[in-house]
Amino acid sequence: MAPSSPQPQARQAASASRRAGVIPVERWFWFLAEENAQGIALPVTLLFALLVRWCVALHGYSGQGSPPLYGDYEAQRHWMELTWYFYDLSYWGLDYPPLTAFQSWACGWVAHLINPSWVALDRSRGIETHTSKLFMRSTVLVLEALIYVPAVVLLFQSRQIQANWIVKQAAIFSVLLQPCLILIDHGHFQYNAVMLGFLVWTVYFAAREQYLVMAACFCCSLMFKQMALYFAPAVFAFLLAKCFRSPYGVRLFVQLGLVVIVTFGVMLLPWMGSSAQLQQILFRVFPVARGLYEDKVANVWCAVNVAVKLRSMFAAPVLLRLAAAATSVAFAPSCIHLFLAVKRAASGQALVAADAVKLLCYALVNCSLAFFLFSFQVHEKSILLPLAPALLLIHEEPWAVNWFVQVALFSMYPLLFKDGLQIPYWVMAVGWSMLRSCPACPADKRTPLAVLNAQWVSTLVMVAIHVANMYVPPPPSLPDLYVVLNVVFSCTMFVLFFAYFNYRQLTLSLVRVRTTRSKKKDN
Amino acid sequence: MLGAKDIAFLLVGVGIKLLLWPAYHSTDFEVHRNWLAITNSLPLSKWYYEDRSEWTLDYPPFFAWFEWALSLAAQWWDPRIVQLDNLGYATGSCVAFQRLTVMVSELVLFSALGRFVQASGGTKQSKIAAALMFLSPGFMFVDHVHFQYNGFLFGIMVYSLVFAMEGHDLLAGTTFAVLLCFKHIFMYIAPAYFIYLAAGYCAVFRTRRRQPVGRCDLDVGASAQRLAKLGAAVVVVFAVAFGPFAVLRQLPQLASRLFPFKRGLCHAYWAPNFWALYAFADRLLILASRFVPAIGHAIDLSGLAASTRGLVGDTSFAVLPDIPPAATFIATLLAQIPAYAVLIRGSSSSGSRNKKRRSGSQRFIQSVVLCAYASYMFGWHVHEKAILLILAPLGLLTAAPTQGTLRMFAVLSTAGYYSLFPLLFGSQELPIKAAVLLIWVLCSLALLKSDRGLSAWHCLLRAERLYVLGHIPLFIATELLPSCAFGRLQFLPLALVSVYTALGVTYSWLGLIHEFVL
Repeated sequence: MAPSSPQPQARQAASASRRAGVIPVERWFWFLAEENAQGIALPVTLLFALLVRWCVALHGYSGQGSPPLYGDYEAQRHWMELTWYFYDLSYWGLDYPPLTAFQSWACGWVAHLINPSWVALDRSRGIETHTSKLFMRSTVLVLEALIYVPAVVLLFQSRQIQANWIVKQAAIFSVLLQPCLILIDHGHFQYNAVMLGFLVWTVYFAAREQYLVMAACFCCSLMFKQMALYFAPAVFAFLLAKCFRSPYGVRLFVQLGLVVIVTFGVMLLPWMGSSAQLQQILFRVFPVARGLYEDKVANVWCAVNVAVKLRSMFAAPVLLRLAAAATSVAFAPSCIHLFLAVKRAASGQALVAADAVKLLCYALVNCSLAFFLFSFQVHEKSILLPLAPALLLIHEEPWAVNWFVQVALFSMYPLLFKDGLQIPYWVMAVGWSMLRSCPACPADKRTPLAVLNAQWVSTLVMVAIHVANMYVPPPPSLPDLYVVLNVVFSCTMFVLFFAYFNYRQLTLSLVRVRTTRSKKKDN
Repeated sequence: MLGAKDIAFLLVGVGIKLLLWPAYHSTDFEVHRNWLAITNSLPLSKWYYEDRSEWTLDYPPFFAWFEWALSLAAQWWDPRIVQLDNLGYATGSCVAFQRLTVMVSELVLFSALGRFVQASGGTKQSKIAAALMFLSPGFMFVDHVHFQYNGFLFGIMVYSLVFAMEGHDLLAGTTFAVLLCFKHIFMYIAPAYFIYLAAGYCAVFRTRRRQPVGRCDLDVGASAQRLAKLGAAVVVVFAVAFGPFAVLRQLPQLASRLFPFKRGLCHAYWAPNFWALYAFADRLLILASRFVPAIGHAIDLSGLAASTRGLVGDTSFAVLPDIPPAATFIATLLAQIPAYAVLIRGSSSSGSRNKKRRSGSQRFIQSVVLCAYASYMFGWHVHEKAILLILAPLGLLTAAPTQGTLRMFAVLSTAGYYSLFPLLFGSQELPIKAAVLLIWVLCSLALLKSDRGLSAWHCLLRAERLYVLGHIPLFIATELLPSCAFGRLQFLPLALVSVYTALGVTYSWLGLIHEFVL
């Protein structure tokens, strides 16, 4: 009798200690697993994601009720009304690549079926009726549900993501309820989830080792928003390295080239007739004339500008070259590392698909962060680009990604404030910090103590800037004080994250590669 | 005590409710704003006479005092909220204030459910039952979108039931008297309270040693003492509430405000009860009259245009006989017989004292459920929101339910919460109501367990599962199809919802009677 009694206690203690390191989201899935209710986990996550998105969509959008130019919402609606590249360019001329044009055209066609007044050319400018808002909001939701959501779910359920059921479910939940994307797409109003969805499909097909489909998906992403160029070096390095495998490397190279040419060709087909049209697209899509940066954005140029007025020191073309050089230097290490690691694996030793995906995700984060920090004409919304691949690493880097999301959300506050999205901002910020975060549960043993403390400090700084912003009016000589503080703080953090993710890529993944090789040798 | 999990759970709910602020709110929003203004700007003597707005004060005095207390905060928040002539005032600050008061007052329900969990021994299943009630679509739709203060009121009701569970019958009775002075719709369940308190609290029995089992004498002295205590408590509560108005000789005016007998049998949208089925049968007979001339002769032409056209007026039927209010009253009384039977059977049960108390309070809650059910099924001008009056006490019973109770709860909660959909008719709220209900139904089917450990979904019979799943095609047909699909039959979507959900509601009424009484 005596030896049998401590056993259940020990088991209880073991399960309690296992649970102590569990963040609140994971605790929910723990609970479902204990209750034998795993079946409802994914449906409830998806429905909850839908609910939160639609609730955010009830709130304001960019440029609501502010004639004459309104904002991104009106821009997107306007494109549905005209959809091509030559039209009164001072009023939201279309400045995205052809796939966005196709999407606007399709949405415009549906809108015309339902209610032609929503998209009547010129006459519908600034239309803000209740039903037209509902229609616009639902197009975002439907496109995201068609492209982004299935990619995320499939990727995390694939065998290439190595984690247990609870961690995977919690990762799906977190990626789908990531505040930044929800607030920008469903609050501010844009279709970033389409571009990022194609990116997740790119990663998914990389995991499935179907490189032709992967290339096509990435081309779609590029053709939806030229911003996907932030990822291009990493994707290029990855695919190029794959072409060095023997014996079919050359064949793969040719095939990839064909896929890219065909994808671009199909999308540009309507404009193939005249070079003027193509030129116009190029000119609209890459507005190099707009300057180093526009509003306040948390990248290096804007932050440095606080001390050194770069824009008055150099002419625009010089700055363009400077930015290009700095960006190249910044993304080079991670892309070269990715290329070499994959190439070495491709020639001879097999790199485990799971490791290749992990490596690709790290490189995508680093590459896009390099662009965000150092390139020309960056928007504050562009932080969504590094965030997307970073979130795919959420099971690998629980605290870093969580922290990254917090700071990214904070960096977008001035924009969200303009759109009247304070309530969703606070709900999402507190909700994310509470459900994902380590400060909410100090028992989290996976997080080093120093990191916990640093994260506390960073949270306090952000809260302090918010509180000061609310209660202390800025001095009249510095009207933008709080925005600048926001920019400087966020930029510093982003640089630190950039360094951290680079460090992680260069160290951790190399070990993985070596172990797989040594295994091969043993065999 | 509140654990980290409870707080996380509360905050997730709060987050969704905060995000719902800009959603649709019904005229009840302006009703309550107007009451804030009335109680703030007028002396007590004019509260029940003020009629500048059509939304006159028609809740009992304690609710008026509650509004008065809120109006003090409102005055500080935004003085324009409490201006009497500021009809239809609904700016951002006003919406924020009123929505916040709902969320804060709902904490009464939260704390009541916490006490319920304690009273049930802190079991996991009682926590799940409490959580499912706190985040139920009922409160989400009716309080946080449509706009009412049910979370607060049902919190008081849960407190009263939990007091009974803990054996504090006097406190339970007093709390219920207070609740009645907040909102008189709770009179629906007053008969159950009356019999429970009379038989279970006031009547004290003396057992003699050599008496045969089951026979005992009434202890008259002790019983009279308890009756006096309870009576005094109830009288004090009512005196505090209505005394000032009695002194002002306003009681007849109050009565005319609280009980307006001018409304029809059915609401514009039929609440899914017996009369909905009755009205639908009438419609079917009208259709049948085209083919069977015998019915055609019986058609009363005034009924043809009436009940489905959507005015809150007198309901008249075309073929079937009209229903006078007295008939609904008698039908309700008859339907309440099972509720009394539950209590009478309960008082004769044997067992240890503690066990007896537990089972006694369980039977009491069962009787409250059946009592509310009877009024819902056969009452005059029943509102679809009254389903909460059944689901709240029944939800408490799902902490450790028998298989039968759990099955009936699953059917009734799906049908009952679905029947609230027409309250939120706008297409903006469409995804919200669908997502909230689906999440809730999925969680309740998977997480509620019978006393043998089977989940609710596994308890359901095949036909019941089909019925629950049938709400999905119903949703597609009535909410997603464009209205032109129904042609001339514009009433059909609403009628379909009423009839389909009425089937489930009626079915689980019979099932619960079978479960509790037989």
